[in-house]
Amino acid sequence: MPSIPRVDLSLRRLWRTTAFRLTALYAAVFIAGVMALLGLVYADAAGLLTAQMDQIIIGQARALSRGPAATLPARIDQAESADMRQVNYYGLFSEDGIWITGNVRVLPAYLRIDGPPGVLRGPHFQPGARGLAKRLPWGEILVVGFDAKVLSGLRNIILQSLLVSGGLILVVGLSLGAAMSLGPLRRIQGVQDASQRIIDGDLTARLPVSSRGDEIDRLAGIANTMMAEVVRLLGEVQSVGNNVAHDLRTPLTRLRALLYRAEQSIGEVDPRRPMLEQALGETDSLLARFRALQRIAEIDRRERRAGFAEVELEPLLRDLAELYQPVAEDAGQALTLRIGPAPPIKADRELLFEALSNLIANALKFTPEGGQITLTLSDTAQGPRLEVADSGPGIAADEREAVLQRFYRSRRAPGTPGSGLGLSIVAAVARLHEFGLTLGDAEPGLRIAMDCWPIAPKY
Amino acid sequence: MARILCIEDDETTAREIVSELTAAGFDVEWVADGREGLVKAVSEPYAAITLDRMLPNVDGLAIVSVVRQAGIDTPILMVSALGDVDERVKGLRAGGDDYLTKPFASEELSARLEVLLRRQRRAEARETALTAGDLEMDLLTRDVRRGGRELKLLPTEFRLLELLLRNSGQVLTRSMIFEAIWGYRFDPGTNLIDVHMGRLRRKLDPPGVPPLIHTVRGSGYALYPAR
Repeated sequence: MPSIPRVDLSLRRLWRTTAFRLTALYAAVFIAGVMALLGLVYADAAGLLTAQMDQIIIGQARALSRGPAATLPARIDQAESADMRQVNYYGLFSEDGIWITGNVRVLPAYLRIDGPPGVLRGPHFQPGARGLAKRLPWGEILVVGFDAKVLSGLRNIILQSLLVSGGLILVVGLSLGAAMSLGPLRRIQGVQDASQRIIDGDLTARLPVSSRGDEIDRLAGIANTMMAEVVRLLGEVQSVGNNVAHDLRTPLTRLRALLYRAEQSIGEVDPRRPMLEQALGETDSLLARFRALQRIAEIDRRERRAGFAEVELEPLLRDLAELYQPVAEDAGQALTLRIGPAPPIKADRELLFEALSNLIANALKFTPEGGQITLTLSDTAQGPRLEVADSGPGIAADEREAVLQRFYRSRRAPGTPGSGLGLSIVAAVARLHEFGLTLGDAEPGLRIAMDCWPIAPKY
Repeated sequence: MARILCIEDDETTAREIVSELTAAGFDVEWVADGREGLVKAVSEPYAAITLDRMLPNVDGLAIVSVVRQAGIDTPILMVSALGDVDERVKGLRAGGDDYLTKPFASEELSARLEVLLRRQRRAEARETALTAGDLEMDLLTRDVRRGGRELKLLPTEFRLLELLLRNSGQVLTRSMIFEAIWGYRFDPGTNLIDVHMGRLRRKLDPPGVPPLIHTVRGSGYALYPAR
């Protein structure tokens, strides 16, 4: 029987869910939006602040340049010492750029002289500081700069809020996504569990349906309706099968009885006798096949484990050997028992006996005279193993699965009498017990092993 | 002549049962209806009853229960199209003495019925020895002699012979033998019973001695005391 792999709730699996991907996408878009918004705010605020700074710089430069040339260094020193917040920069340079006074020691060559205010760069300036260079009427160069330190502060604030809000969005968004996708994943796990129960044969199991009525519920509802229909059809098929079997029983009994009476009513030397006997023989093999089919259906219908008891395997095998030893001897074959110690198993003794008896009968049937049939009981790590091996023609590897099916007749022995149902009965018994049944090569010959421990059945 | 009541609703099956049992020397009375069958079963003396499991009006199981509750221990052979082990167990538990599943061979039916009658006739006195003609079997010492010659029998052969002796003059089908000796009810197929019977016969009936065990063609085996 197939088994459904269980959904794992790992991150990789989570990522595959629609809910999770959607949430992650939302979070990413949201973060981009926040970034754009904060960026815009920053740009606007920075623009405004720059304009204000530029006005301050231009005003200061104008005020300084208006006074007499001789007092300029003194005024610059005064202005510097009055600048308690140290937000202003001043520099006075000679015509050819040599420093005269001020806290700007090197003429910023990148400022165009008499040009508009520009950014002051270099290790001495705070980021965002601005300044301008102006040639005074007497030839000297005046540099005035300003840094309110607000721009860098603003940038820090914006960056921080971007980090915090982005992180928050990411964490909240992803956990929300995980939560939203875990729910459906858990429900799908429930669906899988229910499906596995159905596959295992519990036809009364149904997929879980919640009261939400969402898409999963609707799908589960559809599947459940289908399941109910399948169960109804199965029941119909079964009852048709049972009725056919039931309806055939009586006419078959009549047919057998009529042929028997006809055979009884004619003389010993009647020329019709061989034909009648043949017809009777055919009817008997028809009846045998019919009974075997009924038997398989009956075994399959049985409650699992109802009527199971502790079975000692050694006496069982000895009984079987005792039953078949004379048959083997008559056919010129050797039936050998190889019994190792093995613990008792939970089983239906009669069915186990029937199954093994079918295997031995098969081995005897397919092994030519002088052959060797071995019955082995051994104990493995998982449990006891029963084996029937013969020295006959064996079964080709590609046929081994098929011979367990109903009516399959192996290529190995065309024309051998039999219903073709012996191995199917064995398979039905193994199925009921959840025992493993494997066909292998006995080199030469066939080896059939019944592993007396529960496995997932596959036939 | 022993009177048999046959309760069976299917006319053809009933006719077969009647003709088979009549041929086997019984006086057979047939009723098709369950209620009528029940009335007859409890009011008239019969040697044995064959009873269909599923009948119109009154169910076969119900008939068995009522007959047994009335204190009547006439042997009842149940015949049914329901072959499940459960059904069989139910039938036997309700008080049936044997259970035959359709489709069946008519010889099987008469053979089983005769065994039931014989079991009924035989007082429960415990025999310690069984004999048939010049064959003697001591159940205590497990000695078997034919015409004074001691036979060495294996345990299975001994049980097989005991079964035949206890039912001497009686046809036993292969499935009856398999059930009685090995205790299993499935179809053993092959010639399993024939092989075992063959071994017993080789010891019991050497060439030149009138045979005790006879093959009944198509049916099974019977032991007849040598004439």
